[in-house]
Amino acid sequence: MAKKIQPLRAQDKLVYLLALVPYLMDHDRVSVSEAAAHFGVPQQQIRDAVRLIAVSGVPGETATYQDSDLFDIAWDDFEENDQIVLTHMVAIDDSPRFSAREASALIAGLQYLSGLPEHADRVAIATLMSKLSRGASAQPTAVGVEASDLDETLALIRETVAAGTQIEFDYLNSRGESERRRIDPLRIESVDADWYVRGWCHSREDVRTFRLDRISCPTMTSESITHTVADVSLPETLFDASPEDIRVTIEVVESAIPLLGDYVALTPNCSPQGTVSALRCSCHTSMGSSGSLLGFPALSR
Amino acid sequence: MPVTKVPNEERLFSLVLALLSSEAGLTKSEILSTVQGYRQRFVHSGDNSNLERQFERDKDDVRELGVPLETIESPEQAGNNHNLRYRIPRADYELPEDISFSAEESTLLGLAAMVWREGSLSEESRRAMVKLRSLGIATAEPVLSYAPQLRVREQSFEPLRSALDKGVLVTFEYLKPGEQTATLRTVAPLALVQHQGRWHLYAKDPATDLFKTFLLRRIVSAVRATKKPFDETTADAAARALAELEAVWQANLAVVKVEPGTDAATRLSKRRGAMPSPSTELELHFTDLNIFADELASFGPEVLVLAPPVLREAVIERLTRTAADHG
Repeated sequence: MAKKIQPLRAQDKLVYLLALVPYLMDHDRVSVSEAAAHFGVPQQQIRDAVRLIAVSGVPGETATYQDSDLFDIAWDDFEENDQIVLTHMVAIDDSPRFSAREASALIAGLQYLSGLPEHADRVAIATLMSKLSRGASAQPTAVGVEASDLDETLALIRETVAAGTQIEFDYLNSRGESERRRIDPLRIESVDADWYVRGWCHSREDVRTFRLDRISCPTMTSESITHTVADVSLPETLFDASPEDIRVTIEVVESAIPLLGDYVALTPNCSPQGTVSALRCSCHTSMGSSGSLLGFPALSR
Repeated sequence: MPVTKVPNEERLFSLVLALLSSEAGLTKSEILSTVQGYRQRFVHSGDNSNLERQFERDKDDVRELGVPLETIESPEQAGNNHNLRYRIPRADYELPEDISFSAEESTLLGLAAMVWREGSLSEESRRAMVKLRSLGIATAEPVLSYAPQLRVREQSFEPLRSALDKGVLVTFEYLKPGEQTATLRTVAPLALVQHQGRWHLYAKDPATDLFKTFLLRRIVSAVRATKKPFDETTADAAARALAELEAVWQANLAVVKVEPGTDAATRLSKRRGAMPSPSTELELHFTDLNIFADELASFGPEVLVLAPPVLREAVIERLTRTAADHG
């Protein structure tokens, strides 16, 4: 997928500056390309950051930013050879701590990963979590995730995504018809308890989304995928309105409307009648129109 | 004289450098008059209220990144805001010396950061990875470089998480599974946990002192954070919440009969922990009776609940009402 390069916010740029300084201090000399590769950012971003660091510093005793109060670099090496050499340092000695939220995001991610077979070493994961906790500037926010529970289908698809090979399976659609499909699996993601694999479907010659719990008899093939994430446009949302959607009009208790989520059309036609509202919803046929409406029987009137 | 615009990141960076290097701390007027990015806009013996507001926002931005920007009151003049001093204590800013990460650990953290598909958890993970890279650890290639990704779609997640950080009570309208009208709740948020793919809020009801678990999906109004702090230090709230949910899930067991070859047969047999009992029967665990009854009823004639009786009644009640509503 062609990743959109979003302009960094000042806060993000600050994080790069605070992270880059200790990295440069630990390396007597490093090329712009090496630093860019290490941080996984465009080279220009490193150059801009180095330029800013080189003219920054502390107000100092005179409160006027004298030369000795500023960072400095070997300018010739930088301008001519694209090499970074810090020649004078101020204020910063070490890497910054994680914020409570940053630590908690990684800890929750680790909890989830701990269920994957290759990360079964509970002790190592617990050690890593406690390091994150101690390395945070405040108590990490209490966010917890149940360890992933890979069923066989999920495990197999994951392997094929990593290997870049095609996969075949029987797929039961919402109308109860089963068909053998062959796809280039590109991404696996979840919505609530449901897992979906998205990929290029060779039978339909288009991008399709499949529910994992409707897949049976999956087999990994030895053939490489023909379409990558970069080749197809994989929408960010799982379901987009399409002309094939069936428009359904239902009556629901008003308080239940938020529960319908993606099913509600962008411009629902709500006409409040006491506690009952009517709304139109475009139904995603791939999810089964019958199920979706009966999914909230306690709420429909 | 025209004022050259100092970029925001330069002002923030200069603020951090200045406060890190001053052990005694700096007063607000010292900061505004001397630190790069502020000093250019500072008016001597004039009105600096815009600049002061800028400083307030900058403090929040810097703190949000985990930089411990402290305020110290001068002991002689407590309550006098003009003499407040600001500083960043080095020991609280720097990653402790004894914390280091191996290449394998760094790789694992990289994967953990990729678990989040979007949103604040994803942004914060990325930021943490930038800080980790600062340590200069080379990252090893993971065995399997691909992990399934999680989304957090509930709009209530962010306001709840921020209320958790601040330790304040929250209020929201909650539509309890099985009920028809939402009710207003006021609770002390303790943890946000994902169990069986669903996000839950673990909280304490300040009126009854009882612990409660809410489904984020069922929060049907905006979450409003109050200014009321609460005193509740439940250790390991997240682990406790997950353990409670798991215990409930384990204890709740249903036996259903499914029509072979149908959607219900395919999908229900793939649920976590589904056990085929004789041929067309399945044993299934569940967390919430009403939600599970909704799910089972949605399969219509493809599934028949055998046990427990209360679940069977709940499904019959839903199907009967649905039929009556359409009559």
